[in-house]
Amino acid sequence: MVLSKREILDRMQTLAVSDRRSLVITPLLYKEESDVFDADSVDLKLGCYFLLPKMLDQPFFSPDRESATSLHVKVHVPLGQFLVVPAHQTILGATLEFIKLPSDVSGQVLTKSSVARTFIIVETAPWIHPQYRGCLTLEIANVSNTPVLLYPGRSICQLVLMHVVQEKNTRGSKRGGRNRKGDVKPDTSYFGPVYPEAPKFRDPQDDLLKIGVRKVASLKKKQLVRENEEWKEES
Amino acid sequence: MQAGLTALLHDAAVLHRFSDFLEEYCKEQERSQRYVDASGDFFKYTEDLAREIKLELRRDIERTSLFPPRIAASRTASLRRKMLTLKDYLRLLHTLIKPAADAHTLSIPAPLINLACDQLRQIEGMGDSRIVVLLTPQLMYFQRPHTHVKQQAALVEKFVPQVLFPKKLGFIELPYSQGPSFFTNLAIYHEIGHFVYEELPSLPSSNASFTALGLARDHALMEFPRLRRDRQVRALAEKILESWTQEIFCDLFALRLVGPAFSFALVEILGMLGSLSSEAMVTFDQEHPAPACRFAEQVRLLRQDSWWDAIAHIEPEQKKLLERLAKTPRAKYKVYAGDERGPEALMRPFLDSIIPAIRNLVRQVTPDAKSVAKRFRETRRVIEDCLEVGVVPHAKTATPLDPVSIINSAFCFYLTKLPKIVTKFEGGAAERNVGTRSKWTGKLEDWTKKAIEDSQIRRQFERTRRDGPL
Repeated sequence: MVLSKREILDRMQTLAVSDRRSLVITPLLYKEESDVFDADSVDLKLGCYFLLPKMLDQPFFSPDRESATSLHVKVHVPLGQFLVVPAHQTILGATLEFIKLPSDVSGQVLTKSSVARTFIIVETAPWIHPQYRGCLTLEIANVSNTPVLLYPGRSICQLVLMHVVQEKNTRGSKRGGRNRKGDVKPDTSYFGPVYPEAPKFRDPQDDLLKIGVRKVASLKKKQLVRENEEWKEES
Repeated sequence: MQAGLTALLHDAAVLHRFSDFLEEYCKEQERSQRYVDASGDFFKYTEDLAREIKLELRRDIERTSLFPPRIAASRTASLRRKMLTLKDYLRLLHTLIKPAADAHTLSIPAPLINLACDQLRQIEGMGDSRIVVLLTPQLMYFQRPHTHVKQQAALVEKFVPQVLFPKKLGFIELPYSQGPSFFTNLAIYHEIGHFVYEELPSLPSSNASFTALGLARDHALMEFPRLRRDRQVRALAEKILESWTQEIFCDLFALRLVGPAFSFALVEILGMLGSLSSEAMVTFDQEHPAPACRFAEQVRLLRQDSWWDAIAHIEPEQKKLLERLAKTPRAKYKVYAGDERGPEALMRPFLDSIIPAIRNLVRQVTPDAKSVAKRFRETRRVIEDCLEVGVVPHAKTATPLDPVSIINSAFCFYLTKLPKIVTKFEGGAAERNVGTRSKWTGKLEDWTKKAIEDSQIRRQFERTRRDGPL
């Protein structure tokens, strides 16, 4: 069941922040409710920090523990300034609003229709789990043939919230587990970010070992060193 | 071409190239990074100045080459003097530009800097003040005395009157390693105090108290007959008293602006520098009063401003240390100059007559702090409740949270409840994991910075909502 504007406002305004049913969206700036609320969604604004793809020093990106943060360069664009997203490029941004979801609510982030019509697509991994807290990292893709300007502080996406029917005797999320009240504990690997976050990976061999794979190919090359008239891999 | 003119042309070309480099370097920084407003103004000033210097050099050389040989010789000499002044000044700017370029908004706590500058501008007579942040390799905070820069700039303005040094522009150095952290960087309030101290003679609010402070210092020096005879010793004594005076002034100034969080930050920094030994605590050196004396003054002011009552609910080690130091008997204070015992006789008049004059001066210059402490008391619970569940502090009312309350509540939370939140989200064993604690300190600092930024955005929004867009 999708949460209505009234329920969203009730959960934001009447419940204490420590209440597991409370919802936080801050700072939510509006004169009239209709500025940010629809009957079943809330508009979110673009924040001031971005991660832009960076030129790598190798011809590929390997999603492993070591190189996960080497893919991006962080950029700050204050309110009033703009960022140019080149044609056919994807960047990471974050919402201006910090969000805390209740323990019985999931969320989905959707591109605002007016933004989508400029050939900007927000989010390809749009699901937000209960208890999530933080500014939402947004994958922002410019699929048009022209560069597009993004202004921090302008609405970019909408958040739709859905009630989660709690099942008894479940064991919690894959990383979080449950607390004594039976709530899913939040996953702390992406806990409370206020900037867009780079992905966090384990090494592929560790992930694959879990399903019994014991031989894993690697593209990582060692440096070659000339020794005794021949090239050898550096130890 | 005459030999003198050839050499002059060469030197002018070198200076032209130097100016060109500085202009391009500043432009490049602004293209590639974002800066707080003051840094942007400083880069713009340097660009404009460098450009004008280049034009001026071209004009000068052209004119000089047209003069007959006899006049050209004297003209060459005066041009050399002018070029020397310009070169000296550019050399001074050169030392400031690189550390200013390093201090872009991703490498400094920009919300804190913006807040501190806003507070500074609210002080009577400091309305157009701006602070350029510099990142330094030294593990210490420092205010570059701006009077010297202003004096040098004034000399250059005689030759390049089109470009004026920005009014009330201060330079504050932060250790580069501490750039993105939040709590220790509260030390910048002390450095802003140094900036204000330099401006005191021109502040309307401080006239009488500043004169009284000067008189108190003169009286202190009169007590020593030897100082009247020996000018060198007198100059040294004046210098020491001036340094001690500034340090106490800046501490109290910082406290009035940001409350007890400043004292806690100072404890952190002294701990990081290894200056918390019992010996170091009671020792005055030539530049700083003993930390025990500084903290005694801070606790005294915190009590007067009702801050001490406002933080009565917390008992972290840092607060106990402050209390213990504040109670240190004066008889234990020592003065060291280098490795030797120093002029201890200066201490008594400093403590008895100069410090009361400083207290008075700080009260005249800074805004009332009791109302800030009251706001802290009213909102502390709300802020802590948010932090306890890992949420950026915010108010549910239309009135945004007061940034000083956010800072103090977050610092108190950091000192007393960090383990609680680590345990809550990471499990009991994580509490003893240093890496995990450090990670959560970072999160806490991020939420605090975000809360301050949000509070400023909310304030601006509420103003626009009330008054309409300008």
